[in-house]
Amino acid sequence: MRIESRDQFEALRSQAGEAAASCEKKILVCCGTGCLASGAKKVAEAFAEEVARRSVDASVGFMVKTTGCHGFCERGPLVALQPSGILYTKVKPAHVGDIVEKTLVGGEVLPNLLYKNPVDGERVELYEEIPFYKHQVRVAMRNIGHVDPTDILDAVAVGAYTGLAKALFELSPEKVLEEVAISGQRGRGGAGFNTARKWRSCREAPGDRRFVLCNGDEGDPGAFKDRSIMEGDPHSVLEGMIIGAYAVGAHEGFIYVRDEYPLAVVNLTIAIAEARKYGLLGDNIMGSGFDFDIKISRGGGAFVCGESSALMRSLEGKTGEPRAKYVHSTEKGLFDLPTVLNNVETWAGIGAIIDRGGAWFASMGTEKSKGTKAFSLVGKVKNTGLIELPMGTTLRTIIFDIGGGTLGDRPFKAVQTGGPSGGCVPEELLDLPVDYEKLTEAGSMMGSGGMIVMDDRTCMVDVSRYFLSFLEEESCGKCTPCREGLQQMLHLFDALVEGRGAEGDIDRIERLARAMQLGSLCELGKSAPNPVLSTLRYFRSEYEAHIRDKACPAGICRELTAYEIVEEKCDGCHACFKACPVDAITGVVKEKHEIHHDICISCGACFDVCPTQAIRTFPKIELQRAEVE
Amino acid sequence: MAETQCSDLGKAEEILARYPHQEPALIQVLQDVHRAYNYLPCDVLERVARALDVPLAKVFSVATFYKAFSLEPQGDTIVKICMGTACHIRGAGQLVEELERKLGIGPGGTTEDRKFTIKTVNCVGACAMAPVMIVGEKYRGNAKPARMAKYLAEGSDNDEN
Amino acid sequence: MMPTLHINGRRVTVAEDATILDAARAASVHIPTLCQFDGLEPWGGCRLCVVDMSRESWDDDWFKVVTACNHPVEEGMTVLTDSERIVETRRVVLDLLLARCPETPLVQRLAREHGIEKTSFEPNPEPDDCILCGLCTRVCDHIGVSAIASVNRGWGREIAPPFHQAPPDCIGCLACAEICPTDCIPYSTSSSRREIWGREFEMLRDPKTGEAVITKEQAEHFARRSGVPLAYFETSDTSKRREMAKTFEKLQVVK
Repeated sequence: MRIESRDQFEALRSQAGEAAASCEKKILVCCGTGCLASGAKKVAEAFAEEVARRSVDASVGFMVKTTGCHGFCERGPLVALQPSGILYTKVKPAHVGDIVEKTLVGGEVLPNLLYKNPVDGERVELYEEIPFYKHQVRVAMRNIGHVDPTDILDAVAVGAYTGLAKALFELSPEKVLEEVAISGQRGRGGAGFNTARKWRSCREAPGDRRFVLCNGDEGDPGAFKDRSIMEGDPHSVLEGMIIGAYAVGAHEGFIYVRDEYPLAVVNLTIAIAEARKYGLLGDNIMGSGFDFDIKISRGGGAFVCGESSALMRSLEGKTGEPRAKYVHSTEKGLFDLPTVLNNVETWAGIGAIIDRGGAWFASMGTEKSKGTKAFSLVGKVKNTGLIELPMGTTLRTIIFDIGGGTLGDRPFKAVQTGGPSGGCVPEELLDLPVDYEKLTEAGSMMGSGGMIVMDDRTCMVDVSRYFLSFLEEESCGKCTPCREGLQQMLHLFDALVEGRGAEGDIDRIERLARAMQLGSLCELGKSAPNPVLSTLRYFRSEYEAHIRDKACPAGICRELTAYEIVEEKCDGCHACFKACPVDAITGVVKEKHEIHHDICISCGACFDVCPTQAIRTFPKIELQRAEVE
Repeated sequence: MAETQCSDLGKAEEILARYPHQEPALIQVLQDVHRAYNYLPCDVLERVARALDVPLAKVFSVATFYKAFSLEPQGDTIVKICMGTACHIRGAGQLVEELERKLGIGPGGTTEDRKFTIKTVNCVGACAMAPVMIVGEKYRGNAKPARMAKYLAEGSDNDEN
Repeated sequence: MMPTLHINGRRVTVAEDATILDAARAASVHIPTLCQFDGLEPWGGCRLCVVDMSRESWDDDWFKVVTACNHPVEEGMTVLTDSERIVETRRVVLDLLLARCPETPLVQRLAREHGIEKTSFEPNPEPDDCILCGLCTRVCDHIGVSAIASVNRGWGREIAPPFHQAPPDCIGCLACAEICPTDCIPYSTSSSRREIWGREFEMLRDPKTGEAVITKEQAEHFARRSGVPLAYFETSDTSKRREMAKTFEKLQVVK
């Protein structure tokens, strides 16, 4: 089974391709974490049973495959059919019989299971016609949703390890580096450092032993593209790392996976075992004479371990404290040896870059940001999920054409990008072409690719406080500005959201922000003020309202917001009564309901369920004033 | 020394046999130990320190640094509420409050009968289903406070939700 | 190769492996520090020693903020230790430390020297004197003992022995207490006993003079590490001097 020459690899590839083509009709059931949570496992089992039943009648050949995340998690469980290209959404086990009978055998489409475009109400049949997928150009995610991640031959059939074969047998390590340089690929983890430059400085570092590492510690809340790649196409990561190791002369690699991604660990483990079995990892890869192997290491639950020097300390079995960057990790990294650390998505793109050429990759994107980027589009948006697009696509296209606009068509307020190190981009900048430079200019950053859509029911002061609270728990505590600064920043923000803000607070916040940006040891502390500063830049009036008027314009901050039912609009449907967790609402079905302010905790549950928009928010301070009068 | 504990060290020995006895293996060993014992018992930590030749103070430092580890026995079912950004703006806070009302404990706490432990966790990467709760191994997407009793009753049971 | 650089306009030439802090000292420019200690690897945690640095190849007005204690020097480097943003950053660092440790004399003094009498932030409701400089754990690691370490992370970080109980590896050498800039590690020591971190130690006494010299654990640790016989460590300095003095009797004056 071990491949010992390029010819043998090509033979395996044809074989795998034939095996895949032999079965004419395929049923691809998405089993990424999102769809699994919606019950995809039972759907896959139902299909397997149904197909097994029918294979007794050998005239029809079907194959059921479980794949990784298709990205359209909102509509899961997703089932894609080949060769027809039909995508069925929200599939339940009860639908399986019909799908096989009517669609696969009978060629009839089941409209109720098709995606319904929220903009025009039309049902869309084909996967590639759905706006969510139509605009996408999938490079890093090229195979996800098409292959069974636990079957290496499935991946090989669609091109996995082809780039590796080319690198090992046609290109020298130096030529590989050049090709990556031509592609212009920049790190997809957030920093956006030029990949080829990083590899080159490791290659030039003295010493025999060096490492290539994969940063799978996707910590930005709201980002899950790395999870999908590790779960859905682990071979793309392995292939990229082998090519990178070949280019820099490393023989050992580690994939550092977040503790919170158990399925990724499982699928990567299977992939590594299979790759070893076929001689694609380990000694004498493909008979080329190049040795390289990979181990998986799990994180312990620390966002700071996404920072490269902290990640390396964690691999060394220590606490995840970053160290000063004056000595580059490409010279002295893991165990003080030359190390290349790249993000999952970065590695996933390498195989395609070598296979199709750096120029192909560079033909997409903008001047300084080449290629494609994966984004997780989440929050108050209709079509939430994972997408990959050429750099330079505008925010408007992403949120409205692909995302279908805001949930409930509420007014769009901002899109938060770059996680806790990023910022909020407001409506006036929606035509911003997304790339590293443009997002930074706007006061945000690319980060991991998380895009969180916010509507008018999102308070920017609360959002900043949320990120500060997140970082405060994740700070390693080594350096003063971050450890103490986050704590004090949080005190200031607690005061703002609770109505205790005072004149001068914004100045205090800005002074502390500046010191944290300049004085902190690592990017966690340095970029912690970003969400604060970006919301101050575009939404300063909200801060001022919290301070001067003791009001939360978005109606979110509980201490500042009261709720009441507008009599004329209430139709007595009783939904709010059922939703209220503290029984603050009284009312009989079909009669006007009332919220009791002394019991109400301002959680907004009633607001969210009221079908007639009969509930309104107003500043709590008005209640107090009314009492005084 | 540490309170005398009498954990079954057999499980620990099995785990240690799987790894090279060096510092870099520490976090992986602790994770396996945590899974086997449902927390990190102090006598097991002492054994790990000796086996890997890592000072006990450093083992304790690592055990208290990473969120994955608990030094106190946890409940049979761990209820995790995702506090990622998408979940936050789609009402994760309400879920935490409802849990507090139902179980009488806050995040980080364990019920007296040791049935449940509540934890708030970082983004689990299922943002499209926000807000997300994980009861045992079972993911609950689009979780609603009103259904909390159902989630707790069904627990980790792997039937369709 | 001995690089030459400018610090606050003063020209100074130093060894190739020098840090900016070394260069500043050579140039008689004062940079305040808290977590730095000669003989221990620099740590870069307190951030008090931040300076503005510009490399030779950079534009004249392009500076980067770095910590002096661990940043290597380079030929043609320009360093400013008192630029406006550096002074302000230092002040905020001290303001923050004063919030954490409002009752600690060292922090109060440093803050006052930078114009801060009272913290502008929310003071710690249960203050102690630990400024989390890490010197105690670093010296303990340096000696090869590692009896204490940092526990937890973030604001709740603290220095403690394992399980907050008497540390089994401690040798009672008191290096941690001696190096602590705020004297916040309590201990007691007498001719017969020593106590620190909740552990009690018996003192070894010099067989000749009866002086308390060192703890048994410390002697054993040093003997193991150095290969020098245990008896050497049991001997007090007084006895060692007398032994040395005796050898002078045998000296002959050569004319």
